[in-house]
Amino acid sequence: MTEYLIRRVLQSVLVIFLITILTFLLIHAAPGGPTQVMLAPGLTPEIFEQQAKNLGLDQPIHIQYFHWIGDLLQGDLGYTFKNHIAISDLLWPRIGNTIILMGAAWLVSLLIAIPWGIYNSTKVYGLSDQTASFISYLGFAMPTFWFGILLQQWLSLKLDWFPLSDMHTRGKEDSIADLFMHLVLPVTVLALGFLASYMKYARASMLEVLDQDYIRTARAKGVKERKVVFRHALRNALIPIITILGLDLPILVGGAALTENVFNWPGMGRWFVEMATAREYSALMAVTIVTAVMVVIGNLLADILYVVVDPRVKLGKQGGKAA
Amino acid sequence: MAKKRKWWSGLLVLSLVGVLFTGCSTNNTAGSSTNAPAATTAPAESATPDATEAPAADAPVDGGTLVTSTFSDIVNINPLMINDTSSGDVAQFVFAKLYNLDREGNVQAEDWSLAAALPEISEDGLTYTVKLKDTAKWSDGQPVIADDVVYTIETAKNPETGSPLTSAFDKVKSVEKVDDHTVKITMSQVYAPFLYALVQEIVPAHVLKDVKPAEMQKNAYGTDPAKTVTNGPWKWTAWKQGESHTLDADPNYWGTVKPHIAQVIYKIYADQNTEVQAIMKGDTDHISAIPVTQVEAVKADGKIDIIQKPGAQYEYVNFNFDGKNFPDGYGLFQGQKTRQAIAHALNRQGMVDNILKGVGALMNAPFLPDTWADPGDAAVNYDYNAETAKKLLAEDGWVADAKDGILVKDGHRFSFELQYNAGNSRREQVAAVIQQNLKDVGIEVKPKAIDFAAWIDQNVTPGKYQALLLAWSLNTPDPDAESIFSSKYFPPAGQNSGWYKNEKLDKLWVDGYSTVDQAKRKEIYKEVGKEISTDLPYVFLYQYGQAIGTGPRVHWAEEDAPEPSLGYGQFFHAIKWWVTE
Repeated sequence: MTEYLIRRVLQSVLVIFLITILTFLLIHAAPGGPTQVMLAPGLTPEIFEQQAKNLGLDQPIHIQYFHWIGDLLQGDLGYTFKNHIAISDLLWPRIGNTIILMGAAWLVSLLIAIPWGIYNSTKVYGLSDQTASFISYLGFAMPTFWFGILLQQWLSLKLDWFPLSDMHTRGKEDSIADLFMHLVLPVTVLALGFLASYMKYARASMLEVLDQDYIRTARAKGVKERKVVFRHALRNALIPIITILGLDLPILVGGAALTENVFNWPGMGRWFVEMATAREYSALMAVTIVTAVMVVIGNLLADILYVVVDPRVKLGKQGGKAA
Repeated sequence: MAKKRKWWSGLLVLSLVGVLFTGCSTNNTAGSSTNAPAATTAPAESATPDATEAPAADAPVDGGTLVTSTFSDIVNINPLMINDTSSGDVAQFVFAKLYNLDREGNVQAEDWSLAAALPEISEDGLTYTVKLKDTAKWSDGQPVIADDVVYTIETAKNPETGSPLTSAFDKVKSVEKVDDHTVKITMSQVYAPFLYALVQEIVPAHVLKDVKPAEMQKNAYGTDPAKTVTNGPWKWTAWKQGESHTLDADPNYWGTVKPHIAQVIYKIYADQNTEVQAIMKGDTDHISAIPVTQVEAVKADGKIDIIQKPGAQYEYVNFNFDGKNFPDGYGLFQGQKTRQAIAHALNRQGMVDNILKGVGALMNAPFLPDTWADPGDAAVNYDYNAETAKKLLAEDGWVADAKDGILVKDGHRFSFELQYNAGNSRREQVAAVIQQNLKDVGIEVKPKAIDFAAWIDQNVTPGKYQALLLAWSLNTPDPDAESIFSSKYFPPAGQNSGWYKNEKLDKLWVDGYSTVDQAKRKEIYKEVGKEISTDLPYVFLYQYGQAIGTGPRVHWAEEDAPEPSLGYGQFFHAIKWWVTE
C-alpha cells in the first residue's frame, strides 16, 4: 500500500509539472497582458515597455517559466503584477474562506442526499421519492445566483432572519455564531445544487445493486430487508459514489464564482475570475497548482476508500488494483 | 497632455450578474438606525443640479463610522501610481492635494489643500510659483515641504517610473525648491490646462527618495498600510484584501477643519448588484454607482437618498479613418456626409430617455454641457431623422442594393463591426439601438463585445478596428482634448486611436492651450466645437452618470453635498460630513 501511494504521488508530481507547462503556455497565449490592464490606454509605448521591463514581462516565455518554477520550488508563489503583493497572502485566506463555504455546503448535501437517496431506492416512486425528484430537478434547473437573490430578498431584506452577504458582521470577526448565520443562505443555495446530483447518484447506484443476483440470493435466504440494504447493498452502492466525491473534491477549493458574487463571499471563485481578467499570470498558476493537487488528492482518497468499502479491492505490491 | 484621461474601464463597470430581482421593495430594512432625523427624508426626486437632497442638517456630531463601498479593490494608492478609481477613492480620504476643486470645478486653495494660496503665474504664463502651508504634516510627524513637491513631479516625469502621471507633467521643463515652503515650476511652453495638474496628491520625499524609479511600482508604499505615510484627514489603518479598507481619522491631522467622522470603512462588493442590495439592507451607507436599471427599485425603498446627475464622462461612437481596417482597404467612413448621416440616423435622445432613464445630456462636441467651454449652439446638433440621413447618404454616392437593401458604393457594402467591451450592459443596449437605427437607413452593423484587456491590446491601442463604442471619463474640467483628436497622437503612441486628421483642428487645439486667458480660450473652443461637430471624428452621444446613493445615517450641510460632475465628487467635502447611529 505504501509503495503504491509513493508511486502514485510520484506520477502525480510529473503530471502536475506537465500541467504547469501547458497552463503557463495557454495563459500567456491569451491576448492582452497585465500592462494593458494596469496602465491607462494611450500612454506612450515607451511607458508600456518600461513597465513590462520593470515586471520582467519582456523576457522570452521559457525564461519566464523557469523563473516561475524556480520560485515555486522554493515555496514562492510569486507576486501580483499590478501591485506586487505576495500571491500567498492573497491565496491562502481565500482558500480558507472557500473551504468553509464549500465544505459546509458539501457536508450538508451529503448528509441529506445519501441517506435520502438510499431510502428512496427502497421505496421507488413513493411520496418521498417523488419529492426528492422534484427537488433534484429544481436544483438542476434553477440558476444559483437567481435562487440566491431570491433568498436574500425574502429571508434577509424582508424578514431579516439572516445577514444579506459577507462572511462576518463588522466587529464580530471572531464569532462562530455570526459566521454560522452568514453561512446559512449561501450554503442553502450551494447545497441544493450538490444535493440534486448526489441524491440521484445514491438512488441509482442503490437500485442497480439491489437488482443484483446476490441480493436476490440474500433475500431468498431470508435475510431481513434492513440487513440486505445496509449490510449487502450499501457497501457496494457506495463505490461509485466515492468515485464521484473524489472527483468533486477540487470544488472545495475552487469555489463557486456566482454564489460568491451574490453573497459577497471572499472566496476563490470570484478571485479567480478577477485574476483572469487582470491577466495576473502568477495568481492563475497558483490556482492551477492548488486545483491540480486537489484532483490528485481526491483520486488518491477515492482509491484508499475503495479498500475500506469494497472487500474485493486490494492494493497489491504491483501497484495495480487486484480484483 | 496635461489631462489625465481614462477609458472608462469595462472592468469597473462590469456587472457579472445581469439580472436583479427587484420586485420586492420593502420598508423593513432593519439594522439601520431609526433615531436619526434623516430617517424621514423623502426619496430624492430628480436631477436638478442645485437641489441635491441633503439628509437633514442638524448640528454635526463627531465620531462614528461611515461605510462606503465599491465593486473592485484598490491596486495601489501611491499617488504616483494611481490608475484605477478604487485606489483614487481611498486616496481622497488619506491624502491632501496641493489644490482642490470647488463645486464649479475651479482650482482653489482650500483649508484642506496643501498650498496656502493660488499659484502665482508669471506674465508670460511660463512659471508657476506654489506656496505651501507651513502647518501641513505627514502622518509620521514630518512636515510637508517643497522637497516633497519637487520629488513628486520629478519622479512622475521620469519615464522609468512608469507613472500614469507622466503625461500630466510632460510640459514641465523644471521644478525647483525656492525655500522650504515655496516651489517654482517652469514650463517648456504656455499650457493653460496645467493649473489642473496641480490638483494633485504628493508623496513624501523623505520616505521614497532612495527608491529607484523603476522599483516604484513594486514598492510597498501604496500597498502596505503600515508603510504608507499619508497627509490627509484620515489615515490608512488596515487593508483586508478583497474585502475592506479601514481609514481612521488621524489625531495629528494638521488642517484647521477636522473630520467629524472617526472611521471610514471602504468596503468591496463583488459587483454593483450586490452593492445595491447591501445599501438597502444598511450594510453600507454610501455607494457611488447605482446602475440605472435599479434606481427605481432603490427609490421605492424610500430610505436611500439618491443624487442623480450626469457626471464628467461621455459616450461616443468612434470612426476609424484608416482604410487598412476595411476589406480591400476601402474606408467606409471617409465621406463627411456619410458621418453626418450616421449622426442623423442615431436616436440619441431615445438612448438617454430609455437606456439612461433620462439622466444624461446630449453632446455635440467633446465639451461637457454647461461648462465654460461648452460651445452650445455653435456646435451642430444632429436631430434624429432617418430621411435626412438617407438623403445625405445618397448625396455621398451610396445606393441601396436591390436584394437586401444594404447600401453599396463603388462595389463596397456598407457593413461594419462596432466593438465595445464585454460585460457592460449599458453599452450592450446602446449597441443594439445603433444596430437598429442604422439598419433603418441601409447600413449593416455587427456589434461585437470583446474582453476588455484583449480589446485594449489588440484593437484600441493599435487603432485596429472599424468603429467603437466607448466613453471618456474626464478627470479635470479643462476642455483641452488635443491628445485624443490631434494627428500628433496617432496610435500606438497616442489616444487618437481612429487615425483622425484635421489640420484646422490640430492647430486650434494648440491655440486653445497656448493662452491662459479664459475669454480667448472660450472663443477658440467654440471654433473647435463648430469644426468638430461638422467633421465628426466621433458621433458624440451623451454625457452620462451614475446615481449616488446614501443611507439615512449620513449627513451633510447642503453646500457639502456630493457633486457628481467632479471626478471623485461622490466624496466632495467628506471632511465636513457626519454620521449618526
